[in-house]
This record gives sequence, C-alpha cells and structure tokens, in this order.
Amino acid sequence: MTALLEVHGLTRRFGGLVAVNDLTFEVNEGEMIGLIGPNGSGKTTTFSMLSGALKPSAGTIAFNGERIEGIKANRVCRKGLARTFQVVQPFPDITATENVMIGAFVNVGGARQAEATAREMLERVGLTPKADTLAKELTLLQLKRLEIAKALATEPKLLLLDEVAAGLTSTEVDVMLRLVRQLNSEGITFIIVEHVMRFVMNLSHRCIVIDFGSQIAEGTPEEVLNNPAVHAAYLGEEASLA
Amino acid sequence: MNLKAPYIRIVVIGALICLLPLFLSSFYMHIAVLVLIWAFLACAWNIIGGYAGQHSLGNGLYMGIGAYAVAFLLDRFNMTPWLGLVVAIALSAGAAAFIGWIVFRYALKGAYFALVTIALTEAAVYVVSNIPALGGAGGMQMEYHGNSLYYMQFAGQNGYFFMGVLLVVFILLLTQWYRRKRFFYQLIAVRENEDAAEALGVDTVKAKIKANVMSGVLCAVGGVFYAQYFLYVGPRSVFGEVVSVQILIYAIVGGLGTTWGPVVGAVLLVPLSEITRAQLGNSYPGSQLLLYGGVMVLTMLFMPFGIMGLAERLHQRWQHRSTTQVVDSQGGEAS
Repeated sequence: MTALLEVHGLTRRFGGLVAVNDLTFEVNEGEMIGLIGPNGSGKTTTFSMLSGALKPSAGTIAFNGERIEGIKANRVCRKGLARTFQVVQPFPDITATENVMIGAFVNVGGARQAEATAREMLERVGLTPKADTLAKELTLLQLKRLEIAKALATEPKLLLLDEVAAGLTSTEVDVMLRLVRQLNSEGITFIIVEHVMRFVMNLSHRCIVIDFGSQIAEGTPEEVLNNPAVHAAYLGEEASLA
Repeated sequence: MNLKAPYIRIVVIGALICLLPLFLSSFYMHIAVLVLIWAFLACAWNIIGGYAGQHSLGNGLYMGIGAYAVAFLLDRFNMTPWLGLVVAIALSAGAAAFIGWIVFRYALKGAYFALVTIALTEAAVYVVSNIPALGGAGGMQMEYHGNSLYYMQFAGQNGYFFMGVLLVVFILLLTQWYRRKRFFYQLIAVRENEDAAEALGVDTVKAKIKANVMSGVLCAVGGVFYAQYFLYVGPRSVFGEVVSVQILIYAIVGGLGTTWGPVVGAVLLVPLSEITRAQLGNSYPGSQLLLYGGVMVLTMLFMPFGIMGLAERLHQRWQHRSTTQVVDSQGGEAS
C-alpha cells in the first residue's frame, strides 16, 4: 500500500536562508502525525508548501499517488488536502455559516446544500449557537473552531492543523482534543503542528521533529521526548547535557 | 423568511416607478433617466467593486466600448443598435477578460489594480480622440430617427425612462439571484480574505476574471443605453476617469456589495448633482463635483458600508433582538 502523503526531499529557500531542508516523510491513511520543533524551525513553511500556498524550491509531494508540489492552493484543496491557519483567517464581514459555506462549495453547487453542510459542520465543532453571527464578532476559540469547520466542509482526506490549540485554556484544549480524535476515528488523516505539548503528544501516533528546517528525530511521542537531539533543539546543548 | 420576497420587492418597486411620468415635468424626467443610467452602471460596477472587492477605477472603459460600438456601427453601417448591442457585449467581454487575465494573473491588488484600471480608461480617451473614424476628440453624433424600435430610439423621454426601468429591474434581479449562488459567495470570500478563499478551494484568479467580465459587459450595456439616450458619444463623456469615478461613487455611497445600494446612491446623488449644476453651474462651474467629494468623505467617515449597509446592520440588530426575545420567552428551548 502506498502512503496517503509522500514527501521527498522537500526544500524551501528564502534567499540565503534555508527554511526547510531536504525533508522526507510519509503519512499513512488514518494516521495522526505531530510535526514539532522550536519556533522558526520551518513547520508553517512546510504546511504552506503542502497546501500549495508556497512553491517548494526542490523536492516532491505526492498526495494520493498524485504529484501536487507547486500546484495552486485551490486545486490542492479540491484534491482533498485542507489546512487551518496559525493566525486565524476568517471572512470577517459575513456570518459563520457563510464562512463555512465557502468551503462546502468545493463539493456542492447549490447554496441550499452548501448551507446545510455548513450548519452540520458548525454543529460538529460546537458553533451552532453562533451560526448567524458575523465572523468578526467571534472570540478566538470560536474562530479556531470556525477554521476547522471551514476546512472540514471541503471534505478533506488529510487535514493540516496549524496551532489550533495555541492560546486556548486547558478546558478548551480538552474540547479540541476530543473533536480531533472524533474526526480521526471517522477517517480523516491529520498532520498537527502544535506547541501545546499535551495536545500533540496525546493525539499523535507518530512525531516528526524538525529544527532549522531539517528533520532531527522521528518516532512515537515517548521516543521523541526521550531523544537527546530533541532536548538539545528545544533547550540548547548545555541544558540537555545537564 | 420567504426567499421570493426580495424578487417581488424589486418588481413591485419597478412597476410603481413606471407611474412617475404621470407626475414629472420634462426636466425632471430627464433627471429620472439619468438616475436610471447611473444606477444601472453603478450596479454593474458593484459586481467587481462591491462583491469581489476589486476597486476598479476604470469601468468607464467598458461603458465607452459599449457606447462607441453602437455609435460607430450605426454611423458607418447604419446597423441597428440591437446588433450593435451584441457587438458591444462581445467586445467588452473580450476586453474585460483580457485585462482581468493579465491583471489578476500577476496578482495586482488594491491600489495597484485601481491604478492599472484608471490608466487604461485614460489611455482609451487618447486613443479614441486620435482615431478620425471614431470622430476624434469631438466625438460622434448619432442620426435621430424619431420613434423607432429598429433604431432603439424614442421621441421624448418616456420611452427611455421605461427602457431604463427595465434595465435596472433586470440588473437588480440578476444581482439578487446571484447573491445566492456559489459564484457570488466566492467573490465575497475573495473580497474578505483572498488567501483563506484560495485555501478553501476557490480559484480566486478565475473568480475575479469572471467578475470583471460580468461587470464590464453590463457597463457596456449601460454605455449603449447612454449613447441611445444622448445620441452623442465623446471620449470624455463615456471613457475616462471622471465617468469611471462617477460610476463608483453611487455604489459606495449607497452601499458596496448590497443589491440596492448603487440604486439608492444614484437616486440620492444624481438629482442633487443635476440640480446643483442647473442652479450653480454658471456661476460656480464644477460645484457638483465639489458636492460629490464632500458626500464621499462623509460616507467614508460615518457610513463605510454606505446607506444600505447601515440599514442592513440596523435591521440585523433589530432582528437579532427580536429573535433573542423569542428564545427568552420560550425558556431557551428554541434551537
């Protein structure tokens, strides 16, 4: 069986800076992969390349057996690879339902069907009471849920979550945990970029650790947490030796 | 809510407006026709400027293409304006698609898009002024045929008035219908957040090109109507930046991205400016432009969403309050 996502030699340079360097990994269907690393290690850049927002300088990305590197974001999305944004990106002046409808239109043509899908997705993420509220009037937690509802409405096979737990309270993180686990049990594959360790360690079947754009470790959450290279990356050489 | 209600409202108001000739003098009928022309053009601009949020300052280009197409074909080949209309639509669609393709493909946004459009419409003024076959800087007079359906001409204003009402009713119905279609939702998504739209599967370049074509073609139709009414086209009267800005002022004051906004803006501002021009035009030339400037500044400051935007917001707030009251009275059981 081939993997759902195969990334090979993925590289992105910004002038002299190599933000992502020769990244190679696979994601199987139904997996939840944690992509972790210190700030500025290239996680969001990787997401941007996977989702088509950014062209890779080198390397290949195969999704569902089809090469997708360098094609435009809207086409990547329509192939079933959706993302949420680290900095939430709502459509501020329309309602939450209308926000989600934009995603639903990937699969349905009519507004009535799109609205039905949108309301269903809002229900899934617990935003039904805010369905008719303008997006600009929502709180951060609500906007993060809206991000997920929008992405879900496109019916993705693979969903990239970029720091959906950041800035949430402990109880809110629990709510988000349950939601993602539920969605995964329904067959959606996830790659999760996250600094809230409780969130990513709880969910991930496998973690990929990157630092300065290069992969430094891979394994189960426990293996990765006990890896000296990971300690060094997060805390510095001396601390890891101490 | 009844989904048909907005359509019925448009048709009923359109029918009522048809009674106006019974009450208005010739001078005011002239102003009424002008209101209809500008309302139609503003509605057309609203598609690219209001819904898609791409502030084109050059839609006079398409209006001019429409106006000059019928004028030239009538003058040169004695061609009926009905066929001229078809040519106008084809030419403006081609121009809007080509310009949209170039501009949006290279992701020109905001002020850059506005500048390119204004440059193109100004360039058109100079190009047309230097083509003798198009009448040069003096423009073209169109032959008067009296009441003639074949020449799309009427003796007196009433015929044009009814034609204008039909056009405005048509564009309002079209906008209202599209408002519940995937295409307009995608345009709004592009306006609100282009990156997010792209990430949600919206082909933003294609959506913007389509909006530009739709807006351009409708502006050309407005240009045809304009030419048929005045039986004169001149480079500065249908192309150029003054005309282009005039088109969008009505939409902005009335309410960007609302069905009725451009019409409301034209109904309020066109008579104001025409009357100012009639009263003060001789002693203070250009005073109506000053008026436009003032109204624009006030709108931007106090009603960034225009008159209809403000009305919609107030209505929503009122509706929201009444629904929360319903929920409260049912003990919060309503869902």
